[in-house]
Amino acid sequence: MELLFQLILAFLLFSECFIETKKIRGVSMSYRRLYRERKSFLCMDGSRLIPFSQVNDDYCDCADGSDEPGGLISVSGTAACHNGRFYCMNLGFRPHYIPSSRVNDGICDCCDGSDEFASRMQCSNKCRMLGQKERRELEERMKAVNEGLLLKKELIEEGALIWQEKQTQLSQLQKMSEDLRIKVADYRKRKLRAEAEKERLEKAVKPDHNSVGDQSQWLGVVPRGSRTRVDKDKPSVIHGKEQEEKTEIQQGQNDPVRTPPHENPDKLPPVIRAAQGAVDSAVAELQKVEEAYDTVQMEIRELKEKLDIDYGPEREFVFLLSRCVQMAVSEYTYTLCPFSQVTQKNNLGSEVMLGKWGGWLGRSDSPYRQMKYDEGEACWQGPKRSTVVSLVCGTETDLKSVKEPSKCLYTMELQTPAACSLNTQQRSVHSEL
Amino acid sequence: MTEPEGAKFIAAKMAPSVDRMVPLLVALLFLCLGAEAVDRSNFKTCEQSSFCKRQRELKPGQSPYRALLDTLELSDSRITLQLINDNNKVRLLLELYRLQGNMTRVKINELKPLKPRYEVPDVLITDPPTEPMTLVAQDENGLVLSLGVDEQRVIVSARPFRLDIVEGPTVLLSLNSRGLLTFEHLRLRKDTISHKITSTVGSMWDSIKSVFSSKHDADTEDGGGSENAEQAEDEDEQAVKEEEDKPGMWEETFKTHSDSKPNGPSSISLDFSFPGVDHVYGIPEHADTLKLKNTDGGDPYRLYNLDVFQYELHNLMALYGAVPVIISHNTQRTMGIFWLNAAETWVDISSSTAGKTVFGKMMDFVQGSNEAPQTDVRWISESGIIDVFVMLGPKPNDVFAQYASLTGTQAFPSLSMLGYHQCRWNYNDQEDVKAVDEGFDEHDIPYDFIWLDIEHTDGKRYFTWDPNKFAQPKEMLQGLMDKRRKMVAIVDPHIKVDSGYKIHNEIRSKNFYVKTKDGADYEGWCWPGNSGYPDFTNPEMRAWWASQFAYDQYKGSMENLYTWNDMNEPSVFNGPEVTMHKDALHGSWEHRDVHNIYGLYVQRATFEGLIQRSGGIERPFVLSRAFFAGSQRYGAIWTGDNAAEWGHLKISIPMCLSLGLVGISFCGADVGGFFKHPSTELLVRWYQAGAYQPFFRTHAHLDTPRREPWLFGPDNTALIREAIRQRYALLPLWYQLFYNAYRTGQPVMRALWVEYPKEPATFAIEDEYLLGKDLLVHPVTDEGAKGVTAYLPGKGEVWYDVHTFQKHKGAQNLYIPVTMSSIPVFQRGGSIISRKNRVRRSSVCMETDPYTLYVALSPQGTAEGEIYIDDFHTFNFEKEKQFIHRRLHFSDNALSSSNLAPDSNFSTAAWIEKVIILGASQPNSISLTAADGTKSAVEFEFDSAASVLTLRKPGVNAGADWTVLLQ
Repeated sequence: MELLFQLILAFLLFSECFIETKKIRGVSMSYRRLYRERKSFLCMDGSRLIPFSQVNDDYCDCADGSDEPGGLISVSGTAACHNGRFYCMNLGFRPHYIPSSRVNDGICDCCDGSDEFASRMQCSNKCRMLGQKERRELEERMKAVNEGLLLKKELIEEGALIWQEKQTQLSQLQKMSEDLRIKVADYRKRKLRAEAEKERLEKAVKPDHNSVGDQSQWLGVVPRGSRTRVDKDKPSVIHGKEQEEKTEIQQGQNDPVRTPPHENPDKLPPVIRAAQGAVDSAVAELQKVEEAYDTVQMEIRELKEKLDIDYGPEREFVFLLSRCVQMAVSEYTYTLCPFSQVTQKNNLGSEVMLGKWGGWLGRSDSPYRQMKYDEGEACWQGPKRSTVVSLVCGTETDLKSVKEPSKCLYTMELQTPAACSLNTQQRSVHSEL
Repeated sequence: MTEPEGAKFIAAKMAPSVDRMVPLLVALLFLCLGAEAVDRSNFKTCEQSSFCKRQRELKPGQSPYRALLDTLELSDSRITLQLINDNNKVRLLLELYRLQGNMTRVKINELKPLKPRYEVPDVLITDPPTEPMTLVAQDENGLVLSLGVDEQRVIVSARPFRLDIVEGPTVLLSLNSRGLLTFEHLRLRKDTISHKITSTVGSMWDSIKSVFSSKHDADTEDGGGSENAEQAEDEDEQAVKEEEDKPGMWEETFKTHSDSKPNGPSSISLDFSFPGVDHVYGIPEHADTLKLKNTDGGDPYRLYNLDVFQYELHNLMALYGAVPVIISHNTQRTMGIFWLNAAETWVDISSSTAGKTVFGKMMDFVQGSNEAPQTDVRWISESGIIDVFVMLGPKPNDVFAQYASLTGTQAFPSLSMLGYHQCRWNYNDQEDVKAVDEGFDEHDIPYDFIWLDIEHTDGKRYFTWDPNKFAQPKEMLQGLMDKRRKMVAIVDPHIKVDSGYKIHNEIRSKNFYVKTKDGADYEGWCWPGNSGYPDFTNPEMRAWWASQFAYDQYKGSMENLYTWNDMNEPSVFNGPEVTMHKDALHGSWEHRDVHNIYGLYVQRATFEGLIQRSGGIERPFVLSRAFFAGSQRYGAIWTGDNAAEWGHLKISIPMCLSLGLVGISFCGADVGGFFKHPSTELLVRWYQAGAYQPFFRTHAHLDTPRREPWLFGPDNTALIREAIRQRYALLPLWYQLFYNAYRTGQPVMRALWVEYPKEPATFAIEDEYLLGKDLLVHPVTDEGAKGVTAYLPGKGEVWYDVHTFQKHKGAQNLYIPVTMSSIPVFQRGGSIISRKNRVRRSSVCMETDPYTLYVALSPQGTAEGEIYIDDFHTFNFEKEKQFIHRRLHFSDNALSSSNLAPDSNFSTAAWIEKVIILGASQPNSISLTAADGTKSAVEFEFDSAASVLTLRKPGVNAGADWTVLLQ
């Protein structure tokens, strides 16, 4: 903004004394009027007023380098100011600035060769060729982006289905979980009933169950929840049973492994044997239901985690949940399962984890350009392996490259229509300018 | 690169792969785990090196040597005299030469050795020219010889033998003054029983011998400790007159390695005393202080080229290279001793007060104060002869010139080699190289060379390229050439034993490999696995090696590809002390004899190859890790595998200063540190320091994260860019200083005392230094530093801060507050330094750019400097005298440029764009008189606050005569 102000100021100050413009180099059309020959020149930062003969005379007078934009009068170099810029006109291609240190350095930087006007270097004009090439590439890229955008729609739809599916799955799981929770409670009761029944029968059949030998038979095989039975005195057996019930409910979820007291079934009367059988099957069933409940809980947790991930404004990256992509580089095969993990397998079959999903890495203006996968297996004497995946617009969804620029730090390029946007369309044009 | 035995090999072998946790390697991991620093137990102490132990057990003052004065032979150029050891009656031959340029050479060998002893060839550039000596006096106690100049004499005392070099009444230096001359003469192995049974059946003797040798093993294995009673008895049985064999004389074991020593003991030793001296320097390479330390009570300094994994600082252990030169200095005189011996060498240094060792009546009158300091230096080498050059100075630059006249000067690098070098183990492939190259342009940072480490080869077969990663090397090199940049690729001297590898097959078929004691090709482990070691001491081998650099031999090479010789100590991962077995054979010589010179020969052969490939036109560039006296002639040296630690940054200064003192000016340390990952602050500070050291290269271990200059945020990129740009702006100075080093042997990077020899405050300074004599550099080497204290030398002198132009008085400690962008540098008042302020992509792009002259006025209002220009890359400066060498001189308000080499012939397009005069007063007008007499006015600006006068665009050609007058 300040520069613009200075430009306007300079323009106003000297617009009255313009003389005919000489051929000048290294200045864009919009700035050119500022370099029309006149009596003096005000450095664009306003710091100094110098005779116009010192503009482009291969000596740096202005602190901002504005007095040496390119060749004007002298045929010698104009790299005089270290912070100067030289404007490549590049007719037929795109104009751009180069640092003035690249003027007359024996290397052709501008495609029109204008930067080497006084060096021994014979630069041919490549602008037309480059322009054509670039237009061609640009067209192809635009085509690809457009195609990508169409494909992206499909993928968004595909993703929406997956998303829907996941949601459905979640509600199903949640329902299932609720059902199971009730079942668990139910089965727990059944088990208690069976145990109570068995106990009642035992009392009936074996009134002398308080003998030392008998008690010792219980020792060692008693389930955790039954310990109170042993610890308590005979009169408080009932009380103990209540306690047992409580404990079992508290521990139910975490402690499915309970072994009911067994006695040699041959010695037992048939009623007791039957009661024991009922207890056994009640315990087994409870265990099964509890396991199912745990599994469902875990699945819900995982699914929720997946659903919590940011899949982009249109959930355009959701579909990647169902795609693992692979690429072989010399003796290794790399597998990226987006939002999950990256692995590397050598041709002997041993697999190494190169990172688990660790979030998006992008900047705030382009938050979905890079994914991070970290906390992979540790390297010998090195860090834990990690991978950065860059997303680029393409008509296919696959890996374009895999590299290891530093030991154990990997980079991948994932091309996918999901990364295409109107932005990328603009960017692809813009970045070259 | 270095790792403990085997370990780096593993790392390297796995480097290209992505998965390194291969189970078969796990067993070897223990070698590296916890390897935070050097594993000292891999390397010998003096106690563990039998000859060092034997020699060090001798006590001073009991010399058995006597000069036999009647054997004196005096010719015009030398005298010879026999010495006898009164204990064993073995005679030695002493040769004494007076050499041109104020040097004295002392050679001592056995009069009649059993077989020839090794005399180091190829180090001296010529047979040093002699000057006549005359016999001044002689009696039964000794002789006095005149050395021709300055009343210098050599006094030879007969009993005990001793030499004193005196000047007038002053003893400059004494030899064998402490009586530590020892010469273990070659002898037949005289195992106790052998004499008794010489006439009996040989086989019987063999079996007995084997019994004995195994007993010997046992003795040495238990630590080489005291001799046991049994052995003492055995030795009593020996012939009375003969010396007793001591443990380790005929066989020595270190860790699992056995040294067979078929020639038996052969070590030598001699002591030197410097009265009045308490500062000695030199004998690199050690990661220690510039001023050498007293070694009483500890190990001596060791000179034995070794690949030391993660070397420790402030430690006298041997490192990669050795230059057996010590320099003594006091306010009166600077001298040097060059001990020309390539075997394992130990150097003891002790201080005492003079007088203690001053001898009999002849010298009584020289004694001054008994309190005067004295430094005693004792050299101990395992084999060879005593061949000593005493360089008598008297000034530091005289010693440098004297040493240069013996061993040559620094190879004159092309300009680009003085630019910035970007290296890493490893740039992964051609694409990587291209991306890094482009990164420099994108961030507008200049560089000249990008480097490839061992991974660029096809399976560590040097002279080849990895067929996948570097499939089109010429394409890559052409890409660099288009940007006027260059590349260095590594070529190490260990050759993969692989019948499918042409280099190996040829070396084997030509019988060029070093041999084992039994005559087979010597093999050891290095990067490629099992490797052979070409015998670089063989001139035919070197010629063949050189021929391999021809463009049609070294496939994929081009004229902008240069070479790096690493691992040339030589490094043998599974050898004793990670190097070659001493009983390996180089022709008829043992490795023991040639060890320290092996690396020099490798660099030399490569250097010659690079010259030959261009038909002798282009200056070569070879970087070497190992070195010896004379290595300066063949290129650059770096301080090996340092670490990303502040201490390593600090030590890079004394390490390079020490090398500069002994002729090797082209020295640098890995910027950023090789091992470990530097903090951003350390990296920036290291760039700032490295920009002002001769060889400016970043390097990083394979395991470390990437560290190209733009990876640490824009602020740090800017700081690094600025440091590198300061380097490029000063290239005219660097180039001129290297030309000067090439011509005269004066170091480029100088300890302060070299220029201020009478200022004791400078004698131990090692945190700052001079470039040439005019630029004082005090890099920031402390973490979180808020300021540094620089000593500005020179009473009555002034120094100008090169960034602010602020003037400071000399002979003071100056506190300088610093920020992250500070690189404290001062220009001496009285000097003129030329810069090129138009920093471009590479040095080559700057060749014809104009100069800015920085004229820093002395308090007397004078200044002078030089400017040197040539084509910056060929030998034409020498062959065709195509160069410009001018003197710039300011006095009486006139600045003029005059020709220092009227018979030279070169023209340049470069011109003078600006003259900045520091400490100036305001003139009324300024006029320029050109060579043809035409006069013109020069515009100027004057900053009265800073007393800085800037002349706008004098515009004269840099090669022309001209005068600018301030009125």
